[in-house]
Amino acid sequence: MRVPLSWLREYVDFDLSVDELVKAISLHSQEVDGIHRLGVLDGEVVVGEVVEFGPHPNADRLSVAKVDLGGQEVQIVAGAPNPYPGARVPVVLPGSVMADGTKLRKAKLRGLESNGMMMSERELGISNDHSGILLLDESYEVGRQVAEYFPVGETVLELDVNPNRPDLWGMIGVARELAAILGTDFRIPDISFETGGPPTADYGLRVEAEDLCPRYDLRRVSNISPGGRAPLEMRRRIFAAGMRPINAIVDISNFTMLETGQPNHVFDASRVREGIVVRRAKPAEKMKLLDGTTRDLDTDMLVIADEERGLVIAGVMGAEDAEVGNETTDVLIEVATFAGQSIFGTSARLALRTDASGRNERGLDPNMVPFARDRVASLLAEHAGGTIASDTLSHYPEPVDSWEAPLRLGRAELLLGIPVERDEAVGKLEALGCGVQAEDGRISASIPTFRRDLRREADLIEEVGRLFGLGRVPEELPKTSLSGGLTPAQQKVRTLRRLLADLGLAEAITYPFGPDRWRRDLSLESGHEPPTLANPLSAQAREMRSMLLPGLLDAAARNEAFGVESGAIFEVGRVFEARPLPEGKRDAALHFRLTGELNQPGTDAEDGASSFMGVEENQRVGGVLTGAIQPGGWNAPVRRAGFFEAKGIVERLVPGASFSPEVRPFLHPGRSAVVRAGDAAAGWVGELHPETAEKFDLSGGPVAAFELDLAFCDPDPAPRFQPFTNVPAVSRDLAVVVDSGVPAGDMLAAVGKTGSTMLAGARVFDVYEGAQVPEGKKSVALRFAFRGEETLTDEAVNGELDRISLCLRESFGAEVRGD
Amino acid sequence: MAVIERINELESEALAAVSGAGSTGDLESVRVRYLGRSAELTEIKKGIGTLPVDERKQVGGAANRVSRSLEAAIGSRSQDLAGGEREKRLREEAVDVTLPGVPYPKGSLHPTLRIIDDVVDFFVGLGYRIAEGPEVETDYYNFTALNIPPEHPARTMQDTFFLDDGLVLRTHTSPVQIRTMLSQEPPVYVVCPGRTYRRDSDPTHTPMFNQIEGLAVDHGLSLAHLKGTLAAMARHTFGEGAVTRLRPSYFQFTEPSVEMDVSCFVCGGADQNCKVCKGAGWLEMGGAGMVDPAVLSEVGYDPEEFTGFAFGFGPDRMAMVKYGVPDLRLFFEGDLRFLRQF
Repeated sequence: MRVPLSWLREYVDFDLSVDELVKAISLHSQEVDGIHRLGVLDGEVVVGEVVEFGPHPNADRLSVAKVDLGGQEVQIVAGAPNPYPGARVPVVLPGSVMADGTKLRKAKLRGLESNGMMMSERELGISNDHSGILLLDESYEVGRQVAEYFPVGETVLELDVNPNRPDLWGMIGVARELAAILGTDFRIPDISFETGGPPTADYGLRVEAEDLCPRYDLRRVSNISPGGRAPLEMRRRIFAAGMRPINAIVDISNFTMLETGQPNHVFDASRVREGIVVRRAKPAEKMKLLDGTTRDLDTDMLVIADEERGLVIAGVMGAEDAEVGNETTDVLIEVATFAGQSIFGTSARLALRTDASGRNERGLDPNMVPFARDRVASLLAEHAGGTIASDTLSHYPEPVDSWEAPLRLGRAELLLGIPVERDEAVGKLEALGCGVQAEDGRISASIPTFRRDLRREADLIEEVGRLFGLGRVPEELPKTSLSGGLTPAQQKVRTLRRLLADLGLAEAITYPFGPDRWRRDLSLESGHEPPTLANPLSAQAREMRSMLLPGLLDAAARNEAFGVESGAIFEVGRVFEARPLPEGKRDAALHFRLTGELNQPGTDAEDGASSFMGVEENQRVGGVLTGAIQPGGWNAPVRRAGFFEAKGIVERLVPGASFSPEVRPFLHPGRSAVVRAGDAAAGWVGELHPETAEKFDLSGGPVAAFELDLAFCDPDPAPRFQPFTNVPAVSRDLAVVVDSGVPAGDMLAAVGKTGSTMLAGARVFDVYEGAQVPEGKKSVALRFAFRGEETLTDEAVNGELDRISLCLRESFGAEVRGD
Repeated sequence: MAVIERINELESEALAAVSGAGSTGDLESVRVRYLGRSAELTEIKKGIGTLPVDERKQVGGAANRVSRSLEAAIGSRSQDLAGGEREKRLREEAVDVTLPGVPYPKGSLHPTLRIIDDVVDFFVGLGYRIAEGPEVETDYYNFTALNIPPEHPARTMQDTFFLDDGLVLRTHTSPVQIRTMLSQEPPVYVVCPGRTYRRDSDPTHTPMFNQIEGLAVDHGLSLAHLKGTLAAMARHTFGEGAVTRLRPSYFQFTEPSVEMDVSCFVCGGADQNCKVCKGAGWLEMGGAGMVDPAVLSEVGYDPEEFTGFAFGFGPDRMAMVKYGVPDLRLFFEGDLRFLRQF
């Protein structure tokens, strides 16, 4: 809502700077979204009379004028051609500051001095018209300040009106609110007029769709002088409030809407056949609207029609057909209350929002109707020479009356945390328009019908709180004795994220929805349909992810495209899988989703709830490594992304994990493994299949990745003390030759199972294939640590090593090298 | 006595050799030559027993004196030489200290999650737990239970992503509050961080963003407790000087509803051209309010017995403000040039 301050002052007096006013409104009522300035901010605008006007000698497009400012004649260079000797014009004097902050100075334009500027409507903030200088009529006295006739500068506050306050979509409502904040009074314009002319009842009124139209009023104004313009000040206000002045009738209609917050519609009575019908649109009905578009209506939309055709999409926009024009002399004023949700739905389905629909969709106060109706009528009489019919037609079968809402002072004090003194609370509620009765600690407020948001005690407490001022509320902390904390699972995620960051990975957050290309490019099985969005922003963001991988790969590709070929990223996030609903339970599931109710006899609540979701979410951690994940230094080798780099990370996340080859379509068949924690599959690790890499536009060499179910990760397993002796361990190496295909991990596992009491550690420290070993074989160098209660003898160690060699020979055909 | 003269000769000879030794190695040769097992002086000492009794004492005394004198001289010379040699070695071992160290890996944590972790830790200190819930949510938990019935305009304002009938991507983390209240009795003190989704995309809106909401329900909670909690959090996040103010606002699930502003941590309101607060002096932190009695009733709490407050922040925006990030979209692109800065 745009609130021009000079207009606001018509209803309420206030002596505040703009900053103070903004603060008062934003701390007690609505947010002020912006401050707009129009016209002349500071300085003088004087009524001048053009004495001479002619072409500029040195410029084709400029003119030069001599202007009498009331005893003083000045020369002014102008761009507009429309002034003439004898014309009265507004002249802004040098030194004045314009709305955009520029300061007007004496200037020389093409050799001629210019002492001020004659102003267009746009420069004065009256309209967007910049085609010529505003010409003033004879009533403007030469030499006087224009500001004595109308404001030459305007400050407009843009209020961000909360949806529960439709009453603030009108100037009077804003004035009432400000008066309540400031503890002062406000004024509503008096409406008085004489009646005459042909009666409204020459036309009929029939409301067929009563459910969508609680109130509908008509009043006729005839004998209007056709083609008139609204007074300058009215046009100026409409413009400042953000609308476009058009002609006297439309401007009066809009002015009244802006003033009252109540939209209205003015029909050219001569085009209305027989009478007004309020009905739902007919099947396949179309309407050509004022904005030039033709709209297809549906049968849930409310239409204002005559006996032959639709005239208005109710509360939204009128048809071109019944538009008032320059020849209109006889009008019917419609002021009505529509069901807000219906207007909202219509406006949403047509993607058509107007000043009227924005107000109507909130659901307005039917008791506002007579004031707005007669305000339009009286302004038409005053400014367009109309004659107001003595009768009105009104459909208002169920009048709305004010209702009572209670307020216990103790309850208010409890919720607000401040003392609530009775008389002060009563005063605030009365300022809002409530009738208030108070007895001891209880207040009963009779709520005016324009405050439909005030129904309950909590609503009144809010009003009291904000008008008292939230600044009064002290700062306290709840005194709870609960011990807060993270659950072990939450703590684990923390530790895991920090660990990955410490290992050099960058944490990312990627979108959980993407294109169906993801599944194709990963060659995932079809038939396993993921949950999809019904209204994605684009087809590229339609499917919920079943893996973290594709989003991370897209990010890696993006990084590569921007020249960052190397790096490692990880994400902790959810993946989504569709879970078919139990047989025959679709209706029950829908009922649950909409109402939270599990009305399934014999169903365990928990089971029902999760099976009715239809989507399963699981938390995963995934990572992608590309290029030189650790850059080399002058004294350190480069480390490039590969299977073992990713595996090393996985080993930190899932201690004790076992790895065995498993083919996944998107991974390198020889460089990928399933990760097991105990017997359970915890995830996978591997290098990306070159074909997959290509599909994801990754061309910079091997890409390694992993993805694990968070439930199996244990980045910081609970420690348990193991006793140790001070006897030093004896280290022995053993190099064996085995077939290339023998997994080193199996060899280590077999060694571990020999049951040696001395063996304190075993690891692979070298693997070699090449000239030194036969084709199809490899040399595996193992290093063992032996430790006993006492210093071990060579004999004992050698005996143990022999047992190990024997085991490796029997299990893997291993031959000890270098014997 | 010839032997004693010889001993004295050896002493001068040896002392000259000690001072002449140029390295600890030379010095060791000198020591072996004059004090070693087959050195002349050693031989003399060995032969003392064969001397006449009256000479033994004199010769023995002289030999021992010279031995000690030589050992002292060698010891002292050795220290000098070793010191010099160590210095030389250290000089030779000098490195170019401006060369970079061995590169240990340095990763990063997402800026939003840094904020979330920090805020969560603050609330844990106040006795809060973390509550979590699904990102695919039912219509009921996301809207209806929060006092936003079907057809309510607020639903459209939230630009919801829909899935299968009755399912949405949660538009806020508020359904977690509902699920929490349905699963336990008061007192409730929880924070709910998480991803949320709205169908919106421009430089200041992304279809996914993060929220942190908090909920407290207990006996006797008031707006003052809400304000005190938010103010303490603001001081934790933005420094001890941070001042908090509340403005009236409107949310379906709170009554009264407020917006919370915190004084600009950069200029404190003193700079009309401040880039962070745009001269306003205040930064909008988020919405809050006292839990609407209708919501309390909906989850089976007695609004006459219990009151509560709820609040919500946008940690992405907090990160933007705190770290000076101009564009929200950067947060969700996985761009290493961005992520590595945190």
